[in-house]
Amino acid sequence: MSTKPAALYHRIVVWALFAMLLLPLLGTFLYSISTSWSATVLPDGLTLKWYIQLWTEPRFLNAFLQSILVCVGALLLATVLILPLLFVVHYHFPKLDGLMNVLILLPFAVPPVVSSVGLLQLYGSGPLAMTGTPWILVGCYFTIALPFMYRAITNNLLAINIRDLMDAAHLLGASTWKAALLVILPNLRKGLVVSLLLSFSFLFAEFVFANLLVGTRYETLQVYLNNMRNSSGHFSSALVISYFFFVLMFTWIANRLNRDRG
Amino acid sequence: MSFLSIQKLDKRYGTTSIFTGIDCEIARGEFVTLLGPSGCGKSTLLRCIAGLTDVSGGRILVDGQDIVPLPPQKRGIGMVFQSYALFPNMTAAQNVAFGLRMQKVGKTESDKRVVDALAMVELGEFAARYPSQLSGGQCQRVALARSLVTRPRLLLLDEPLSALDARIRKLLREQIRGIQQELGLTTIFVTHDQEEALTMSDRIFLMNAGQIVQSGDAETLYTAPVDAFAAGFIGNYNLLDACVAEALLRRTMTCRIAIRPEAIGFGGDIDAQIKGHSLLGNVIRYRVEARGVELVVDVLNRSAADLHATGTLVGLSIDDSAIREVA
Ligand SMILES: Nc1ncnc2c1ncn2[C@@H]1O[C@H](COP(=O)(O)OP(=O)(O)O)[C@@H](O)[C@H]1O
Ligand SMILES: [Mg+2]
Repeated sequence: MSTKPAALYHRIVVWALFAMLLLPLLGTFLYSISTSWSATVLPDGLTLKWYIQLWTEPRFLNAFLQSILVCVGALLLATVLILPLLFVVHYHFPKLDGLMNVLILLPFAVPPVVSSVGLLQLYGSGPLAMTGTPWILVGCYFTIALPFMYRAITNNLLAINIRDLMDAAHLLGASTWKAALLVILPNLRKGLVVSLLLSFSFLFAEFVFANLLVGTRYETLQVYLNNMRNSSGHFSSALVISYFFFVLMFTWIANRLNRDRG
Repeated sequence: MSFLSIQKLDKRYGTTSIFTGIDCEIARGEFVTLLGPSGCGKSTLLRCIAGLTDVSGGRILVDGQDIVPLPPQKRGIGMVFQSYALFPNMTAAQNVAFGLRMQKVGKTESDKRVVDALAMVELGEFAARYPSQLSGGQCQRVALARSLVTRPRLLLLDEPLSALDARIRKLLREQIRGIQQELGLTTIFVTHDQEEALTMSDRIFLMNAGQIVQSGDAETLYTAPVDAFAAGFIGNYNLLDACVAEALLRRTMTCRIAIRPEAIGFGGDIDAQIKGHSLLGNVIRYRVEARGVELVVDVLNRSAADLHATGTLVGLSIDDSAIREVA
């Protein structure tokens, strides 16, 4: 009997939340396509000129590309490192999982403003001098992505019985390498894709590290956005909306790719 | 000469010994069961034979060849796991084909053998399903087909039916036994279920705490347990210490005895009182107290009118030949 009002209530909550999240975005969008909008309830007129201005601005395009490069670089590094690591931990040393969970949380335990100072000290001089280069950002982003990816893929690994699967594959003639590649890896795809996505959206929006570690020497999208804060609000709005749609599209495509097959 | 010969096999994890000096001989085409309580080392023994874990000492000969130095890939052994261990990312057919793919068997032959193997376990129409789309029993049949398609010389089954419900378990029991006999495959079946062991096997190895306590056919194990553990584990024996037995039977006893519950009948001169009963399908199991001794008595469930209510006084008779002395 209580299902109907409850369902209605649930629906209202979901829609209210949705509206709450969407409203600022809608406002920003409207602002980004208006000629001017100050003393009136609705904008004076509509225009696409802010978008045209944005997408023909070489500095923006460069920052956009550099953001993508840094994120992709960091995620590649994370993937290449974390897949073998997870395999070894869960197959050979399951007891290490507890230790790994603690290690994995370290990047969260230290606030970015503090750890970036540490990173600057470490990488400021000596053989590892790479402050101001995108490499330090790749290295730093990699540590941020690590926990997301480790957790998500671990969940996938726990859902399969890795030891029995490896044993079965071995008895059917597969080497450890082949078994890992053909039997274990395909089952981690979901966790891998989801965590890559999450990390990408997160890193793409990262500002503190990018600003402190590299700043204008290698301008990422968020740093650029910050530097543009004194320009027209319409222009910044166009930037934010463009950025939002990029992440949305990216998420949607990845979701589609992930849905095909089992 | 036996086909599989295990000689003085030792297994230790660090300083903990799981078993020492295991010896056993299995003939070609024989179906043997390793029966024992959970944790007694059955899986470990099986994993040693399969090469999934190192042995600490001893030899394992298959057809006269020591397989201990061989990696699992080279042993020609098929194995079925309690967890099915089907590859979730592959269909039933792809799972079955996996071993052939590793052996680089040609596509036409591989396809044919996969179809045959799936037909053998009566799952032909499920070839394109993923394991998540199959029931537990179907999964285990796919796993069986997968382990048979590479034509192993030895098949190991580690509690393959333990995760399934009773009805499916009975059906699969017969199916496994049927396929094994048809192929003449030497098979070791691990279980902790005495009924499974008694109904399926040519021979049973009873294990306890890393030891093979007794081996023999089902009849021998059931009627002639060698010790108290064997008597307790198989057939719900009444185990009575010498002094207790003396009180019950009113004669001198020198050691512990075991009496099967179905060897005790109603209608005799031992006074007893019914303490309770439970219905096991075609058998009624009574708890009875006779001369201060608690006994379990099984009788055929002929009709409800025969049922003795709790508290009823009855006379018991005990078949003398059914009284076994155990160490
Ligand atoms: N990898 C391992 N390390 C240490 N001890 C183990 C390991 N695997 C199994 N054991 C121990 O070996 C004993 C026998 O286990 P197992 O062979 O799985 O028993 P069963 O299959 O008869 O239930 C158990 O006491 C178990 O704790
Ligand atoms: Mg076991």
